[in-house]
Amino acid sequence: MTDMVRTGFRPSRIAIYGVLLLACLVYLIPLIVMLITSFKTPMDIRSGNLLAMPTDWTTIGWTKAWSEACTGVQCEGVKGYFWNSFKMTVPAVMISTLLGAFNGYVLSKWKFKGSDLLFGMLLFGCFVPFQVVLLPMAATLGKLGMANTTAGLVLVHVIYGVAFTTLFFRNYYVAIPDALVKAARLDGAGFFTIFFRILLPMSTPIFMVSLIWQFTQIWNDFLFGVVFASGDSQPITVALNNLVNTSTGVKEYNVDMAAAMIAALPTLVVYIVAGKYFIRGLTAGSVKG
Amino acid sequence: MSQLELRDIRKTYPGALDETLKGINIDIASGEFLTLVGPSGCGKSTLMNSIAGLESITGGSIVVEGKDISTMEPKDRDIAMVFQSYALYPTMSVRENIAFGLKIRGMPKDEIQQEVERVADLLQISALLDKKPARLSGGQQQRVAMGRALARRPKIYLFDEPLSNLDAKLRVEMRTEIKKLHQRLKTTIVYVTHDQIEAMTLADRIAVLKDGELQQLGTPKEVYDTPENLFVAGFMGSPSMSFINVTVEQAGPGLVVNIEGSDGRKLALPVPDYLQGWAGKQVVLGIRPEHISQPDEQKRDSQMVAESRFTVEVTEPTGPDILAVIRLNNVDVQCRLDAEHPVNWGEEAELMFDMRKVVFFDPDSEKRIRP
Repeated sequence: MTDMVRTGFRPSRIAIYGVLLLACLVYLIPLIVMLITSFKTPMDIRSGNLLAMPTDWTTIGWTKAWSEACTGVQCEGVKGYFWNSFKMTVPAVMISTLLGAFNGYVLSKWKFKGSDLLFGMLLFGCFVPFQVVLLPMAATLGKLGMANTTAGLVLVHVIYGVAFTTLFFRNYYVAIPDALVKAARLDGAGFFTIFFRILLPMSTPIFMVSLIWQFTQIWNDFLFGVVFASGDSQPITVALNNLVNTSTGVKEYNVDMAAAMIAALPTLVVYIVAGKYFIRGLTAGSVKG
Repeated sequence: MSQLELRDIRKTYPGALDETLKGINIDIASGEFLTLVGPSGCGKSTLMNSIAGLESITGGSIVVEGKDISTMEPKDRDIAMVFQSYALYPTMSVRENIAFGLKIRGMPKDEIQQEVERVADLLQISALLDKKPARLSGGQQQRVAMGRALARRPKIYLFDEPLSNLDAKLRVEMRTEIKKLHQRLKTTIVYVTHDQIEAMTLADRIAVLKDGELQQLGTPKEVYDTPENLFVAGFMGSPSMSFINVTVEQAGPGLVVNIEGSDGRKLALPVPDYLQGWAGKQVVLGIRPEHISQPDEQKRDSQMVAESRFTVEVTEPTGPDILAVIRLNNVDVQCRLDAEHPVNWGEEAELMFDMRKVVFFDPDSEKRIRP
């Protein structure tokens, strides 16, 4: 190993780095194009090369996308929808993650008759396509009086996400020795004390995995947003679609790109902040001690 | 007054055909150190978990200080347990680990502080109090685990193979330490182990378990010198007792059994008179390595010794003595020889059989033949 490091520039090494760089580029180019286009003027876009730097750097696309662009009838930008998305995503992520942690705790440490079967059936939830549940879910939300509300959308995402978060936490907790729970029981801790004082504090890595996964899923969701929310409660993904499709006159690509960047930023930030836990957490629990 | 009574404890796991515990009866006195020993799968851990309340029992009762606790929750039983894996809470410091049970029981803060310090002093872990368990060595984690149990001052302590994760040297040190601790604190301890040396050295009394049944309950000396049956005899002691099939014969006024070495040399060993009823019948002679050694002038006067030369097949020097294997009646028999008079394998050695402490078993029932 050390030999390979020292010799450095072997042809095979160069090839590997070359391929990796190329892969990076392939993935980064769309982002780069979006980013530079968002800072261009409409004139610049029409005349210039897609990959060329802006001749005049301008943030007009960003300000317009944020507060002036038309999304359908209204022309107030995406800012309202951006906060809508937060109002929907943050509670949905927190609730589904906590529920998943709790489910995982019960399914791994307090097994009951049929708990493994229940877990198996719960896993089916990971494979149910969004489209399948649209109609029954709409009917349910209607009966609950939650149609077209943010709360309704949160409920949908929580239900849909719990299968994944349960899977994450259950597999993480299975690897934690049962003796820990036994010791806590002898120490006098009850069902909830053990969960909140012993297991939850140990769950940071898998908590981060669940957080990133759920945040990305829910923030990026379009289908549930477009079906179960309307008007004021729509998430940013729906607003972005409306913004791009609302064309009166010339297409303002800089505004479109800026709006798309705004829509994508939170997931990027979450990934950068919590990303180091993501890989660690995904592999943890996969290897049982 | 007995501190802990196990009355006819039975346990069958759901869906299992056989009982895991088949009616265990043990009385443990206050301040007594009892070890539960047996091969893996004998039910000793199940019994321990049942006492702790971590598993329910299907029959019988567990009585502590006259009070039946069989159906109580673990937290209400006033029992502490030290686990094989230590089971320290990884996100808490040593201090918090020890204090956890006290906090939950609502002890005032300053008392908790005092108690943690008392225990830390006792176990010499005061310097570690603010560290996380992952930063500690195995031996230190072991101490913290004991500290956590001690802090609550429970009525009964349970130790579930607490030393089996330590390396050999540390295990012996901790063993001594546990014994010292017990002598100082006079606590009631039930200690599970599969290591018969641990069982012998630590216990006031040993309970030998096999297949969910109590084989023998007695002091280490009783269990070692007068094992109830072939299983106990073979399980306790290292190297273990050798078993030779022999026939009891009348020889003049006394009784003898004949043994034959690998070279055909025969020797009549004197056996005690209580075998009179077995004359002409087969018995199993149980003989420990230390009962066969080089001739000892002082023992020669006894009626119950016999000497002959046998070929040594294998020698295993252990330092203080040499373990040698000879073949008698077609089975390997271990003997303990003096290291000062080395014997090489393949050579003949003059061996003396001290028959005063050997035991005999009924080959059919496998029970010891009592005097």
